Amino acid sequence: MEFVRQSLVIATKDLTIELRSKERLLSMLTFAVLVAVVFTFSLDPTVQSRGIAGAMIWVTILFAGMLGLGRSFSLEREQDAMVGVLLTPVGRGALFFGKFLANLALLSGATLVVYLIYALFFQLSMFSAAPGLAGVTLLAIVGFLALGTLFSAIAASTRLGDTLLPIVLLPLLIPVVFFGATAVQRLLLGRPFEEIAGSVRMLAAFDLLFLFVCTTLFGKVVEE
Amino acid sequence: MIGVRPAAEPAQTEPLLEATALEKWYGPHPAVRGISFTLSSGEFLTLFGPNGAGKTTLLRLLAGSLRPTRGEIRFAGDDGDDEHGWRRRIGVLSHQTYLYGQLTAEENLRFYGRLYGLRDLPSRIDALLEQVGLQDRRTELVRNFSRGMQQRLALARTLLHEPEMVLLDEPYTGLDPHAARMLRGVLEHLRDGRRTILLVTHNLSQGLELADRVVIQAGGRWVFDAPRSSIDSATFEQLYSERVGGAL
Repeated sequence: MEFVRQSLVIATKDLTIELRSKERLLSMLTFAVLVAVVFTFSLDPTVQSRGIAGAMIWVTILFAGMLGLGRSFSLEREQDAMVGVLLTPVGRGALFFGKFLANLALLSGATLVVYLIYALFFQLSMFSAAPGLAGVTLLAIVGFLALGTLFSAIAASTRLGDTLLPIVLLPLLIPVVFFGATAVQRLLLGRPFEEIAGSVRMLAAFDLLFLFVCTTLFGKVVEE
Repeated sequence: MIGVRPAAEPAQTEPLLEATALEKWYGPHPAVRGISFTLSSGEFLTLFGPNGAGKTTLLRLLAGSLRPTRGEIRFAGDDGDDEHGWRRRIGVLSHQTYLYGQLTAEENLRFYGRLYGLRDLPSRIDALLEQVGLQDRRTELVRNFSRGMQQRLALARTLLHEPEMVLLDEPYTGLDPHAARMLRGVLEHLRDGRRTILLVTHNLSQGLELADRVVIQAGGRWVFDAPRSSIDSATFEQLYSERVGGAL
Protein backbone atom coordinates (compact mmCIF):
# COMPACT_ATOMS: atom_id res chain seq x y z
CA MET A 1 0.00 0.00 0.00
CA GLU A 2 2.84 2.33 0.94
CA PHE A 3 4.52 1.39 -2.35
CA VAL A 4 1.46 2.45 -4.35
CA ARG A 5 1.03 5.66 -2.34
CA GLN A 6 4.66 6.70 -2.82
CA SER A 7 4.58 5.78 -6.52
CA LEU A 8 1.50 7.95 -7.03
CA VAL A 9 3.15 10.89 -5.23
CA ILE A 10 6.14 10.67 -7.60
CA ALA A 11 3.95 10.22 -10.70
CA THR A 12 1.67 13.12 -9.73
CA LYS A 13 4.66 15.40 -9.26
CA ASP A 14 6.10 14.47 -12.68
CA LEU A 15 2.75 14.91 -14.43
CA THR A 16 2.09 18.24 -12.70
CA ILE A 17 5.45 19.52 -13.93
CA GLU A 18 4.85 18.16 -17.44
CA LEU A 19 1.34 19.58 -17.72
CA ARG A 20 2.76 22.95 -16.69
CA SER A 21 5.75 22.94 -19.07
CA LYS A 22 4.36 20.63 -21.81
CA GLU A 23 7.99 20.22 -22.80
CA ARG A 24 7.99 16.46 -23.38
CA LEU A 25 4.47 16.16 -24.76
CA LEU A 26 5.04 18.88 -27.34
CA SER A 27 8.36 17.45 -28.48
CA MET A 28 6.87 13.94 -28.79
CA LEU A 29 3.83 15.11 -30.71
CA THR A 30 5.80 17.41 -33.01
CA PHE A 31 8.13 14.52 -33.80
CA ALA A 32 5.18 12.18 -34.46
CA VAL A 33 3.55 14.61 -36.90
CA LEU A 34 6.84 15.21 -38.71
CA VAL A 35 7.51 11.47 -39.13
CA ALA A 36 3.99 10.92 -40.44
CA VAL A 37 4.46 13.78 -42.91
CA VAL A 38 7.77 12.30 -44.08
CA PHE A 39 6.14 8.89 -44.61
CA THR A 40 3.24 10.50 -46.47
CA PHE A 41 5.52 12.16 -48.99
CA SER A 42 8.12 9.43 -49.29
CA LEU A 43 5.89 6.44 -49.87
CA ASP A 44 5.01 5.36 -53.38
CA PRO A 45 1.28 6.17 -53.89
CA THR A 46 0.73 2.65 -55.22
CA VAL A 47 1.88 1.08 -51.93
CA GLN A 48 -0.96 -0.23 -49.78
CA SER A 49 -0.33 1.75 -46.60
CA ARG A 50 -2.37 -0.65 -44.48
CA GLY A 51 0.22 -3.34 -45.19
CA ILE A 52 3.05 -1.33 -43.65
CA ALA A 53 1.13 0.85 -41.19
CA GLY A 54 2.19 -1.29 -38.21
CA ALA A 55 5.86 -0.64 -38.94
CA MET A 56 5.30 3.10 -39.50
CA ILE A 57 3.29 3.44 -36.31
CA TRP A 58 5.88 1.58 -34.27
CA VAL A 59 8.82 3.57 -35.63
CA THR A 60 6.97 6.70 -34.62
CA ILE A 61 5.99 5.47 -31.15
CA LEU A 62 9.48 4.15 -30.45
CA PHE A 63 11.39 7.31 -31.32
CA ALA A 64 8.79 9.70 -29.91
CA GLY A 65 8.92 7.67 -26.69
CA MET A 66 12.70 7.82 -26.68
CA LEU A 67 12.49 11.58 -27.01
CA GLY A 68 10.22 11.77 -23.97
CA LEU A 69 12.34 9.34 -21.95
CA GLY A 70 15.44 11.41 -22.57
CA ARG A 71 13.85 14.24 -20.60
CA SER A 72 12.40 12.03 -17.88
CA PHE A 73 15.23 12.57 -15.42
CA SER A 74 16.41 15.97 -16.61
CA LEU A 75 13.89 17.68 -14.32
CA GLU A 76 15.53 15.89 -11.38
CA ARG A 77 18.96 17.28 -12.27
CA GLU A 78 18.05 20.90 -11.67
CA GLN A 79 19.03 21.79 -8.09
CA ASP A 80 19.91 18.12 -7.50
CA ALA A 81 16.27 17.31 -6.76
CA MET A 82 16.91 13.58 -7.17
CA VAL A 83 19.32 13.73 -4.21
CA GLY A 84 16.59 15.42 -2.17
CA VAL A 85 14.14 12.66 -3.07
CA LEU A 86 16.69 9.95 -2.25
CA LEU A 87 17.19 11.51 1.18
CA THR A 88 13.54 10.84 2.01
CA PRO A 89 12.30 7.41 3.13
CA VAL A 90 10.76 6.72 -0.28
CA GLY A 91 11.38 3.14 -1.45
CA ARG A 92 13.60 2.98 -4.51
CA GLY A 93 11.16 0.58 -6.17
CA ALA A 94 8.33 3.05 -5.57
CA LEU A 95 10.44 5.86 -7.00
CA PHE A 96 11.04 3.79 -10.15
CA PHE A 97 7.40 2.83 -10.44
CA GLY A 98 6.26 6.44 -10.00
CA LYS A 99 8.56 7.62 -12.79
CA PHE A 100 7.37 4.68 -14.91
CA LEU A 101 3.70 5.55 -14.34
CA ALA A 102 4.26 9.17 -15.34
CA ASN A 103 6.11 8.08 -18.49
CA LEU A 104 3.32 5.61 -19.24
CA ALA A 105 0.64 8.29 -18.95
CA LEU A 106 2.54 10.64 -21.25
CA LEU A 107 3.41 8.04 -23.88
CA SER A 108 -0.13 6.62 -23.81
CA GLY A 109 -1.45 10.09 -24.62
CA ALA A 110 1.14 10.57 -27.36
CA THR A 111 0.44 7.09 -28.79
CA LEU A 112 -3.26 7.85 -29.05
CA VAL A 113 -2.40 10.94 -31.09
CA VAL A 114 0.01 8.88 -33.25
CA TYR A 115 -2.83 6.48 -34.15
CA LEU A 116 -5.13 9.40 -34.94
CA ILE A 117 -2.47 11.00 -37.15
CA TYR A 118 -1.93 7.80 -39.13
CA ALA A 119 -5.66 7.18 -39.40
CA LEU A 120 -5.99 10.68 -40.84
CA PHE A 121 -2.91 10.80 -43.09
CA PHE A 122 -3.28 7.30 -44.53
CA GLN A 123 -7.09 6.96 -44.38
CA LEU A 124 -6.79 3.90 -42.14
CA SER A 125 -10.02 2.72 -40.58
CA MET A 126 -9.09 1.42 -37.13
CA PHE A 127 -12.44 1.57 -35.40
CA SER A 128 -13.23 -2.16 -35.43
CA ALA A 129 -9.70 -3.10 -34.30
CA ALA A 130 -9.49 -0.31 -31.70
CA PRO A 131 -9.86 -2.43 -28.51
CA GLY A 132 -7.27 -4.94 -29.70
CA LEU A 133 -4.89 -2.19 -30.85
CA ALA A 134 -5.25 -0.40 -27.51
CA GLY A 135 -4.53 -3.57 -25.52
CA VAL A 136 -1.55 -4.72 -27.60
CA THR A 137 -0.02 -1.26 -27.79
CA LEU A 138 -0.38 -0.77 -24.04
CA LEU A 139 1.32 -4.11 -23.39
CA ALA A 140 4.17 -3.18 -25.69
CA ILE A 141 4.76 0.30 -24.28
CA VAL A 142 4.74 -1.06 -20.71
CA GLY A 143 7.78 -3.20 -21.58
CA PHE A 144 9.36 -0.35 -23.53
CA LEU A 145 8.95 2.11 -20.67
CA ALA A 146 10.05 -0.30 -17.94
CA LEU A 147 13.42 -0.65 -19.64
CA GLY A 148 13.37 2.95 -20.85
CA THR A 149 12.82 4.42 -17.38
CA LEU A 150 15.73 2.45 -15.95
CA PHE A 151 18.05 3.31 -18.80
CA SER A 152 17.10 6.98 -18.86
CA ALA A 153 18.14 7.10 -15.17
CA ILE A 154 21.46 5.53 -16.12
CA ALA A 155 21.91 7.86 -19.09
CA ALA A 156 21.06 10.92 -16.99
CA SER A 157 23.89 10.11 -14.60
CA THR A 158 26.49 9.97 -17.37
CA ARG A 159 28.12 12.70 -19.40
CA LEU A 160 26.79 11.22 -22.65
CA GLY A 161 23.22 11.57 -21.38
CA ASP A 162 20.63 11.56 -24.17
CA THR A 163 23.15 10.30 -26.73
CA LEU A 164 23.71 7.12 -24.75
CA LEU A 165 20.03 6.26 -24.25
CA PRO A 166 19.08 5.00 -27.74
CA ILE A 167 22.41 3.20 -28.15
CA VAL A 168 21.92 1.03 -25.07
CA LEU A 169 18.14 0.84 -25.10
CA LEU A 170 17.24 0.00 -28.70
CA PRO A 171 18.96 -3.42 -28.87
CA LEU A 172 17.18 -4.50 -25.68
CA LEU A 173 13.83 -3.41 -27.07
CA ILE A 174 13.96 -5.71 -30.08
CA PRO A 175 11.61 -8.37 -28.61
CA VAL A 176 9.05 -5.79 -27.48
CA VAL A 177 9.09 -3.98 -30.83
CA PHE A 178 9.00 -7.24 -32.76
CA PHE A 179 5.98 -8.70 -30.95
CA GLY A 180 4.25 -5.30 -30.65
CA ALA A 181 4.64 -4.35 -34.31
CA THR A 182 3.67 -7.84 -35.50
CA ALA A 183 0.48 -7.85 -33.44
CA VAL A 184 -0.47 -4.30 -34.46
CA GLN A 185 0.12 -5.08 -38.14
CA ARG A 186 -2.06 -8.19 -38.00
CA LEU A 187 -4.84 -6.34 -36.19
CA LEU A 188 -4.77 -3.58 -38.81
CA LEU A 189 -5.12 -6.23 -41.51
CA GLY A 190 -8.20 -7.57 -39.74
CA ARG A 191 -6.71 -10.93 -38.75
CA PRO A 192 -8.38 -12.93 -35.94
CA PHE A 193 -7.17 -12.75 -32.32
CA GLU A 194 -5.76 -16.29 -32.50
CA GLU A 195 -3.05 -15.01 -34.83
CA ILE A 196 -1.78 -12.50 -32.27
CA ALA A 197 -2.31 -14.55 -29.11
CA GLY A 198 1.33 -15.70 -29.12
CA SER A 199 2.60 -12.12 -29.43
CA VAL A 200 0.31 -11.00 -26.62
CA ARG A 201 1.61 -13.75 -24.33
CA MET A 202 5.22 -12.89 -25.13
CA LEU A 203 4.59 -9.18 -24.53
CA ALA A 204 2.96 -9.93 -21.17
CA ALA A 205 5.91 -12.13 -20.18
CA PHE A 206 8.45 -9.46 -21.16
CA ASP A 207 6.47 -6.82 -19.28
CA LEU A 208 6.54 -8.83 -16.06
CA LEU A 209 10.21 -9.63 -16.47
CA PHE A 210 11.26 -6.06 -17.28
CA LEU A 211 9.12 -4.52 -14.52
CA PHE A 212 10.51 -6.90 -11.91
CA VAL A 213 14.15 -6.56 -12.96
CA CYS A 214 14.04 -2.79 -13.42
CA THR A 215 12.19 -2.13 -10.13
CA THR A 216 14.82 -4.22 -8.34
CA LEU A 217 17.83 -2.66 -10.06
CA PHE A 218 16.73 0.98 -9.93
CA GLY A 219 17.98 1.56 -6.37
CA LYS A 220 21.49 0.50 -7.32
CA VAL A 221 21.42 2.78 -10.35
CA VAL A 222 20.38 5.97 -8.55
CA GLU A 223 22.09 5.58 -5.20
CA GLU A 224 25.71 6.01 -6.34
CA MET B 1 11.92 34.33 14.39
CA ILE B 2 11.70 30.69 13.44
CA GLY B 3 9.75 28.53 15.83
CA VAL B 4 10.78 24.94 15.47
CA ARG B 5 9.26 22.25 17.63
CA PRO B 6 11.75 20.38 19.77
CA ALA B 7 12.90 16.97 18.54
CA ALA B 8 11.36 13.93 20.17
CA GLU B 9 14.08 12.70 22.56
CA PRO B 10 15.67 15.43 24.65
CA ALA B 11 18.81 13.81 25.99
CA GLN B 12 21.89 16.01 26.10
CA THR B 13 24.67 13.43 25.96
CA GLU B 14 23.07 10.34 24.47
CA PRO B 15 25.03 9.30 21.34
CA LEU B 16 22.77 9.73 18.35
CA LEU B 17 25.16 8.60 15.68
CA GLU B 18 28.28 6.49 15.61
CA ALA B 19 30.55 6.33 12.57
CA THR B 20 33.26 3.70 12.51
CA ALA B 21 36.29 3.69 10.18
CA LEU B 22 34.39 5.41 7.39
CA GLU B 23 36.04 5.38 4.01
CA LYS B 24 34.87 6.53 0.62
CA TRP B 25 36.88 6.10 -2.55
CA TYR B 26 36.03 7.42 -6.00
CA GLY B 27 37.98 4.97 -8.13
CA PRO B 28 41.60 5.27 -6.96
CA HIS B 29 40.96 8.60 -5.19
CA PRO B 30 40.12 8.61 -1.47
CA ALA B 31 37.64 11.29 -0.37
CA VAL B 32 37.13 10.09 3.20
CA ARG B 33 39.81 8.03 4.93
CA GLY B 34 39.17 6.12 8.12
CA ILE B 35 37.02 8.62 10.03
CA SER B 36 35.47 7.44 13.31
CA PHE B 37 33.40 9.59 15.65
CA THR B 38 30.21 9.82 17.66
CA LEU B 39 27.68 12.62 17.64
CA SER B 40 25.61 13.23 20.75
CA SER B 41 22.02 14.40 20.88
CA GLY B 42 21.92 18.18 21.01
CA GLU B 43 25.50 18.63 19.82
CA PHE B 44 26.39 21.36 17.29
CA LEU B 45 29.47 20.28 15.37
CA THR B 46 31.07 22.47 12.75
CA LEU B 47 33.28 20.73 10.23
CA PHE B 48 35.88 22.96 8.57
CA GLY B 49 38.18 22.17 5.73
CA PRO B 50 39.47 23.44 2.41
CA ASN B 51 37.93 22.58 -0.94
CA GLY B 52 38.47 18.92 -1.75
CA ALA B 53 38.88 17.87 1.89
CA GLY B 54 35.98 15.41 1.58
CA LYS B 55 33.55 17.35 3.81
CA THR B 56 30.59 17.09 1.46
CA THR B 57 31.32 13.41 0.84
CA LEU B 58 31.30 12.78 4.60
CA LEU B 59 28.00 14.63 4.90
CA ARG B 60 26.48 12.63 2.06
CA LEU B 61 27.63 9.42 3.73
CA LEU B 62 25.91 10.49 6.95
CA ALA B 63 22.78 11.49 5.04
CA GLY B 64 22.73 8.12 3.29
CA SER B 65 22.89 9.48 -0.25
CA LEU B 66 26.28 7.77 -0.68
CA ARG B 67 27.37 4.34 0.48
CA PRO B 68 30.71 4.05 2.25
CA THR B 69 33.41 1.99 0.58
CA ARG B 70 34.29 0.70 4.06
CA GLY B 71 33.10 1.31 7.59
CA GLU B 72 29.63 1.80 9.00
CA ILE B 73 27.24 4.37 10.43
CA ARG B 74 24.83 3.48 13.21
CA PHE B 75 21.91 5.57 14.45
CA ALA B 76 20.68 5.16 18.01
CA GLY B 77 17.42 3.22 18.03
CA ASP B 78 17.73 2.07 14.43
CA ASP B 79 16.89 -1.61 14.54
CA GLY B 80 17.08 -2.07 10.78
CA ASP B 81 13.42 -3.16 10.48
CA ASP B 82 12.54 -0.22 8.27
CA GLU B 83 15.07 0.01 5.44
CA HIS B 84 14.72 3.76 5.02
CA GLY B 85 13.21 4.61 8.42
CA TRP B 86 16.27 6.40 9.74
CA ARG B 87 15.97 8.90 6.89
CA ARG B 88 12.96 10.34 8.72
CA ARG B 89 15.36 11.45 11.47
CA ILE B 90 17.67 13.47 9.24
CA GLY B 91 17.18 16.77 7.43
CA VAL B 92 19.71 18.04 4.89
CA LEU B 93 20.21 21.63 3.77
CA SER B 94 22.75 22.11 1.03
CA HIS B 95 23.72 24.93 -1.33
CA GLN B 96 21.63 22.92 -3.83
CA THR B 97 18.02 23.40 -2.77
CA TYR B 98 16.61 20.02 -3.97
CA LEU B 99 13.51 21.95 -5.08
CA TYR B 100 11.58 21.76 -8.35
CA GLY B 101 11.49 25.08 -10.19
CA GLN B 102 8.29 24.16 -12.04
CA LEU B 103 6.37 23.60 -8.80
CA THR B 104 5.14 26.29 -6.44
CA ALA B 105 6.56 26.72 -2.95
CA GLU B 106 3.55 24.98 -1.46
CA GLU B 107 3.62 22.13 -4.01
CA ASN B 108 7.29 21.49 -3.30
CA LEU B 109 6.65 21.19 0.44
CA ARG B 110 3.55 19.06 -0.13
CA PHE B 111 5.52 16.72 -2.39
CA TYR B 112 8.31 16.22 0.15
CA GLY B 113 5.83 15.98 3.02
CA ARG B 114 3.97 13.18 1.24
CA LEU B 115 7.19 11.29 0.65
CA TYR B 116 7.77 11.45 4.41
CA GLY B 117 4.16 10.32 4.93
CA LEU B 118 3.36 13.30 7.18
CA ARG B 119 -0.21 13.43 8.41
CA ASP B 120 -0.70 17.03 9.54
CA LEU B 121 0.87 18.35 6.35
CA PRO B 122 -1.30 21.43 5.63
CA SER B 123 -0.74 22.89 9.09
CA ARG B 124 3.00 22.15 8.98
CA ILE B 125 3.30 23.79 5.57
CA ASP B 126 1.38 26.84 6.75
CA ALA B 127 3.57 27.18 9.84
CA LEU B 128 6.86 26.72 8.02
CA LEU B 129 6.00 29.07 5.15
CA GLU B 130 5.00 31.65 7.72
CA GLN B 131 8.21 31.09 9.63
CA VAL B 132 10.51 31.46 6.61
CA GLY B 133 8.53 34.49 5.44
CA LEU B 134 7.17 32.97 2.24
CA GLN B 135 3.48 32.74 3.17
CA ASP B 136 2.57 35.39 0.58
CA ARG B 137 4.58 33.65 -2.15
CA ARG B 138 3.28 30.13 -1.56
CA THR B 139 1.54 29.83 -4.94
CA GLU B 140 4.44 31.18 -6.98
CA LEU B 141 6.70 28.92 -9.01
CA VAL B 142 10.03 28.37 -7.30
CA ARG B 143 11.97 29.15 -10.49
CA ASN B 144 10.83 32.76 -10.10
CA PHE B 145 12.28 33.01 -6.58
CA SER B 146 15.56 34.74 -5.79
CA ARG B 147 18.44 32.61 -4.50
CA GLY B 148 17.73 33.75 -0.93
CA MET B 149 14.04 32.86 -1.18
CA GLN B 150 14.85 29.45 -2.62
CA GLN B 151 17.24 28.78 0.25
CA ARG B 152 14.56 29.84 2.77
CA LEU B 153 12.15 27.42 1.16
CA ALA B 154 14.85 24.74 1.21
CA LEU B 155 15.16 25.37 4.92
CA ALA B 156 11.42 24.80 5.32
CA ARG B 157 11.81 21.57 3.33
CA THR B 158 14.65 20.49 5.62
CA LEU B 159 12.62 21.05 8.79
CA LEU B 160 9.27 19.80 7.43
CA HIS B 161 9.53 16.37 9.05
CA GLU B 162 11.08 17.73 12.27
CA PRO B 163 14.35 15.84 12.02
CA GLU B 164 16.43 14.94 15.07
CA MET B 165 19.62 15.67 13.15
CA VAL B 166 20.17 18.49 10.69
CA LEU B 167 23.06 18.34 8.22
CA LEU B 168 24.04 21.66 6.68
CA ASP B 169 26.39 21.75 3.70
CA GLU B 170 27.67 25.28 3.01
CA PRO B 171 24.17 26.66 3.57
CA TYR B 172 25.31 30.28 3.34
CA THR B 173 26.55 29.94 -0.25
CA GLY B 174 25.06 32.62 -2.50
CA LEU B 175 22.92 34.21 0.22
CA ASP B 176 22.63 37.97 0.52
CA PRO B 177 23.33 39.48 3.98
CA HIS B 178 19.62 39.53 4.88
CA ALA B 179 19.08 35.88 4.00
CA ALA B 180 22.33 34.92 5.75
CA ARG B 181 21.17 36.71 8.92
CA MET B 182 17.86 34.89 8.75
CA LEU B 183 19.57 31.54 8.34
CA ARG B 184 21.84 32.29 11.27
CA GLY B 185 18.77 33.08 13.36
CA VAL B 186 17.24 29.75 12.42
CA LEU B 187 20.40 27.86 13.33
CA GLU B 188 20.53 29.65 16.65
CA HIS B 189 16.97 28.62 17.32
CA LEU B 190 17.58 25.05 16.22
CA ARG B 191 20.48 24.87 18.67
CA ASP B 192 18.11 24.05 21.49
CA GLY B 193 20.17 21.32 23.12
CA ARG B 194 17.94 18.62 21.69
CA ARG B 195 18.57 18.69 18.00
CA THR B 196 21.92 17.54 16.65
CA ILE B 197 23.44 19.81 14.03
CA LEU B 198 26.39 19.23 11.75
CA LEU B 199 27.47 22.29 9.79
CA VAL B 200 30.00 21.94 6.98
CA THR B 201 31.72 25.13 5.93
CA HIS B 202 35.05 26.67 5.05
CA ASN B 203 33.97 30.03 6.45
CA LEU B 204 35.62 30.22 9.88
CA SER B 205 33.64 33.10 11.39
CA GLN B 206 30.22 31.66 10.41
CA GLY B 207 31.22 28.19 11.51
CA LEU B 208 32.65 29.13 14.89
CA GLU B 209 29.69 31.28 15.97
CA LEU B 210 27.37 28.54 17.17
CA ALA B 211 29.51 25.42 17.41
CA ASP B 212 29.91 23.26 20.53
CA ARG B 213 32.59 21.22 18.83
CA VAL B 214 34.93 22.09 15.99
CA VAL B 215 36.60 19.69 13.60
CA ILE B 216 39.08 20.27 10.78
CA GLN B 217 39.09 17.81 7.91
CA ALA B 218 41.94 17.75 5.40
CA GLY B 219 42.86 15.13 2.86
CA GLY B 220 39.88 13.02 3.87
CA ARG B 221 40.95 12.75 7.54
CA TRP B 222 39.99 14.57 10.72
CA VAL B 223 43.15 16.42 11.71
CA PHE B 224 41.65 18.36 14.62
CA ASP B 225 38.65 17.66 16.87
CA ALA B 226 38.01 19.68 20.04
CA PRO B 227 35.27 21.38 22.06
CA ARG B 228 34.65 24.93 20.89
CA SER B 229 35.14 26.22 24.43
CA SER B 230 38.70 24.93 24.48
CA ILE B 231 39.97 27.25 21.77
CA ASP B 232 39.53 30.95 20.89
CA SER B 233 38.88 32.17 17.36
CA ALA B 234 42.33 33.61 16.71
CA THR B 235 44.12 30.45 17.86
CA PHE B 236 41.74 28.30 15.84
CA GLU B 237 42.39 30.38 12.73
CA GLN B 238 46.13 29.95 13.17
CA LEU B 239 45.72 26.25 13.81
CA TYR B 240 43.52 25.89 10.75
CA SER B 241 46.19 27.49 8.57
CA GLU B 242 48.79 25.10 9.92
CA ARG B 243 46.67 21.97 9.62
CA VAL B 244 45.44 22.54 6.08
CA GLY B 245 48.79 23.72 4.79
CA GLY B 246 48.00 27.42 4.60
CA ALA B 247 44.90 26.91 2.48
CA LEU B 248 43.05 29.79 4.21
